[in-house]
Amino acid sequence: MTASTSSWLREQARPAHRLLAFGVTAGVAQAILLCVGAWLVAHMLAQAVLTGRRLGELWPGMVALLVIALARFVLGLWQRRMTFEAGAQVGDNVRNALEQWMRQLGPRWAVQQSSGDIVTRSVDGVQALVPYYAGYLPQVALTALIPAVILLAVVAADPWSALILLFTAPLIPLFMVLVGGTAERASQRRWSRLRRMGARFMDALSGLTTLRLCRATGREEALLAASGEAYRRETMAVLRIAFLSALVLEFFATVSIAVLAVLIGFRLMGGTLGFQQGLFVLLLAPELFLPLRALGTQRHRRMEAAAAAEDLITLLATPVAAVPSQPAGAHSNTFAARQIVLTFEQVSFGYEPERVVLQDLDLTVEAGTVLTLVGSTGNGKSTLLNLLMGFVSPQCGRILANGQDLAVLDMNSWRQHIGWVSQRAHVFHGSLRDNLLMAAPTADDTRLEHALRASALEPVVARLPQGLDTLLGEHGQGLSGGERQRLALARAWLRDAPLLLLDEPTQHLDTATAAKVDVAIEALAVGRTVIRVAHRLHALADGARVAVLADGRIVEAGRVADLRASRGAFAHLLAADRAA
Amino acid sequence: MSDQPSHSDSSLVVLWRLFGLMRNQRGWMALGLAMAMLSTLSGIGLMAISGHFITSMALVGAGGVAINYYTPAALIRLFAILRTGGRYAERLLTHEATLRMLARLRVWLFGRLVPLAPAALGELRSAELFSRLRADVDALEHAYLGVLIPLLVALLTMLVVVAATLVYLPVLSLPLLLFFLLGGALLPGWMLRHGRAPGAIVVACNETMRALAADGLRGRAELALYGAEEAHADKLAAVAARLRQAQCQLDRLQALGSGSVMLAAQLAALCTLLWGLAAQGGGLLAGPDLVMLVLLVPAAFEAIAPLPEAWAQLGTTLVSARRVFNLADTPIPVPEPGQPSPRIDRYDLRLRGVRLRYGGQSPWVLDGVDLDIAQGRRVALVGASGAGKSSLVNVLSRLYPCEGSITLGGTSFDAWRGDDLRAQIAVVEQRPYLFDASLRDNLRLAHPEASEAQLQKAIEQAQLSDYVASLPQGLRTWVGEDGIRVSGGEARRIAIARALLADPPILVLDEPTEGLDAATVTQLYAALDAAMKGRSVLLITHRLGGLANLVDDVATMQQGHIVECVPIADYLDRLTLRESYPTRG
Repeated sequence: MTASTSSWLREQARPAHRLLAFGVTAGVAQAILLCVGAWLVAHMLAQAVLTGRRLGELWPGMVALLVIALARFVLGLWQRRMTFEAGAQVGDNVRNALEQWMRQLGPRWAVQQSSGDIVTRSVDGVQALVPYYAGYLPQVALTALIPAVILLAVVAADPWSALILLFTAPLIPLFMVLVGGTAERASQRRWSRLRRMGARFMDALSGLTTLRLCRATGREEALLAASGEAYRRETMAVLRIAFLSALVLEFFATVSIAVLAVLIGFRLMGGTLGFQQGLFVLLLAPELFLPLRALGTQRHRRMEAAAAAEDLITLLATPVAAVPSQPAGAHSNTFAARQIVLTFEQVSFGYEPERVVLQDLDLTVEAGTVLTLVGSTGNGKSTLLNLLMGFVSPQCGRILANGQDLAVLDMNSWRQHIGWVSQRAHVFHGSLRDNLLMAAPTADDTRLEHALRASALEPVVARLPQGLDTLLGEHGQGLSGGERQRLALARAWLRDAPLLLLDEPTQHLDTATAAKVDVAIEALAVGRTVIRVAHRLHALADGARVAVLADGRIVEAGRVADLRASRGAFAHLLAADRAA
Repeated sequence: MSDQPSHSDSSLVVLWRLFGLMRNQRGWMALGLAMAMLSTLSGIGLMAISGHFITSMALVGAGGVAINYYTPAALIRLFAILRTGGRYAERLLTHEATLRMLARLRVWLFGRLVPLAPAALGELRSAELFSRLRADVDALEHAYLGVLIPLLVALLTMLVVVAATLVYLPVLSLPLLLFFLLGGALLPGWMLRHGRAPGAIVVACNETMRALAADGLRGRAELALYGAEEAHADKLAAVAARLRQAQCQLDRLQALGSGSVMLAAQLAALCTLLWGLAAQGGGLLAGPDLVMLVLLVPAAFEAIAPLPEAWAQLGTTLVSARRVFNLADTPIPVPEPGQPSPRIDRYDLRLRGVRLRYGGQSPWVLDGVDLDIAQGRRVALVGASGAGKSSLVNVLSRLYPCEGSITLGGTSFDAWRGDDLRAQIAVVEQRPYLFDASLRDNLRLAHPEASEAQLQKAIEQAQLSDYVASLPQGLRTWVGEDGIRVSGGEARRIAIARALLADPPILVLDEPTEGLDAATVTQLYAALDAAMKGRSVLLITHRLGGLANLVDDVATMQQGHIVECVPIADYLDRLTLRESYPTRG
């Protein structure tokens, strides 16, 4: 674990400091009670064995022991409660911080991430942190404090025994550091190797169909067997060393008890030690080593937390500035309009400084008109839509809506004026109704029905087992590409916004569905300002207004019929499209 | 893989089968168990004999008769050594056994799943079920170390300790047995029963959290645009709160469990003290024996302490084992013939009345397909999405059971072994899987002995040269889960190169141009034209551009059958005719 990781982990513990302190205090209190109990047991046994006292005279000690046992039980529960709360609190804090951070990073960043990876980091990673604070961290403190309490008690009873323990006890951490350094590295290697082997097995299962098609299953089976065997041999070599640190602990713990017992025995015979003191020390000796042993069983928690922390640190270190975006709530100028005129003035933008996507782009879209953007892939058509939605901000130039600069608008109020049909609409975990209502939380059933009809989603609803209330998304029913696009369309319809952005809404649809969606779009577009990104050009109507985007600017604009005749950039694109 | 295993087998039968799989490791398992017993009992013996020894010595010091102190002192040393060495040996042996099981179990499961893929593993495609299988296999691997060892060690320790009390203080045996059962079985059982409900909530909440986290990433644009980020964060916080509450309940139960074992140990010691003092007062028990028992009893609870966790693990193991066995026992959808595959010298494919559906009740996706692909003939298959084009590929790769007859060179598909048939018919999947391995290994999957020259040729033909050249590490580049991201178009071209390396007489391509731009498609078609020389080809596509020089016939599929199969020229002629009367614009 690197220094920065451990300092990050420690930093996160700060808000839970009090809870952790309570937990540790409860642990120390239990150790004190343990000493008192051991003293009572030693006292009663000494009285009975050496002075012949009867049970009848010793019963108060019995009652006290019962009380101590119950008190230790209750304190133990309280300790767990406190440390659990500490862990849970840290988990909640980190989770909230992550959510805030992802909001800052915005949609542009989100789209580039592998979703499995981020989900693992933000859900399982945060979960892995909790046991570190609930278990490992308090145990570290107790590993130092409990032996100290016990040693003090032993010093009071028999300084010579304390000396023996004092001699062996600090040796344990020392040896464990010596052996443990190698052992921990070795065991880390073992963990990562085990994970790799598990991943390999799962990889083979995921690709089973491909393996069968390639007639490679027999070979893969042999490989799996061989890698399992190799893994066993390597791991055992590592383990022989890794378990040495446990051996050291076991050795000192056991040997010091044996040495103590023998020495106490002979001193008792010589009469230089009282039986009660001797027995007391023997009762406490094994307890001295228990916290260390408990720490050993918690070590994996630290390793898991460290691995999770490293992932989280890299995630939280993603610079927001690297992706110029405009988070909601940055400015307070509200926007309100029923008609929207858009003007791009000398807009330049690039996701990376050396790769410019848009360069000094000028463009005006009149209120209530439809503009179709065309151009080959990667020429900034989708970027232009992202700029309009405020997912990214231009590095130079301005974008004006009815003369107001987007850069100083409150994004929430501006975005309320946009309806958007994306290439791949996301289906959220929840019912179809929830998925529609997110665009218009107050819409009633009549409006929903209208939206379904307008976006040709009705047959889809009819197919779903529980209609509008069918659970969709990750764990629910899936929607096909075409159905998703119609869902996005329905959202845009419900949004009823003056500006409509359409990102190749019919690209992945078969002809029949595409025709249905086109009809729905035409109906929706009436009276709104529309920017539509299109890939397939031959279906464009003669009268449609088109702008051709190339090399980061608009190279050609006009009506389809005129541009087709002019043999310019548009005609060129059209020819390529026909050939494919 | 259903939530409620249909197996009604009793837990013992399942366990028996699980450990039956590990038959070959019986020796290691027994040795590990023996060492675990030895070190546990030595630890208990060390405390007991030490107590006995110092009491005897104290009595000597107080004026009693001299005793032989060499034997107990030697025993103390012996126990100390056995304890230390035994623990080390135990760890090595149990891990050796576990690792041997791990290798065996995975190979066994893989072997069982191969003939099921993909027809009978449909549900495994879901990421959730898949990760559950992963957890199941993990749980099975820890059955020995996490379940069998602690349970048996506790049981044997209990027997030994109870036997010892029977010798010295019989009246103590019964209460001691009760405390053992209470701390080791009854309380953990109670805990498990009460932990089931919050445990289910934790699992459900975790799943919801994952779904929400994925939503927060994939749907971030929608959330931002619709101003729903706040609501999303609230939803996440609500689930987190529910999760925390359930986890708190579980944690409290666990604390109760481990606290109870400790409490039981102290109460048992108290009872020992009570009855022991009474017996000693009555002259029935010697002083050293009393002290020995008082030290022996709490030490024995060391073996009980791991039990709550072991019982919980046992529950998980049983559920996992049932699920895994259920999956492994799924009937094989396409059985292999007993005799070797036929030998043929012509590769005419002939389909008659082929029907396929993906479940007993679901509709037929192929409903009487008739199609001929004579040797060397190239056929394009077109049709709306959902017409059954990809299902035809599934049938041709002999991975799905179907009705009707398919013959290759006059021999029935049923007479062919799957692998032999797939050597004749190479399929380029729509979504090929890339393994976590180098690009070279991924390419050579179907032909591991391919020479460098063959590899280069296939790369060229699949239009991959530029792509490979653009990679800093070339063919050594790591792809797959841990490697570079490969676009859909690139993955498909890798699959094409893979298929070409296998050099089959029949090539089936499922939408090879999907996701490629027009220029690449043109190049790919040109290259495929060369690569297809001398092979029969079935090319599934929804783009007609560029097909004119590539294929001989066009077959049109509609609702599960082939409605027509005409020469490409006729097909295109008709199409142009229709296009000159545009229907809209």
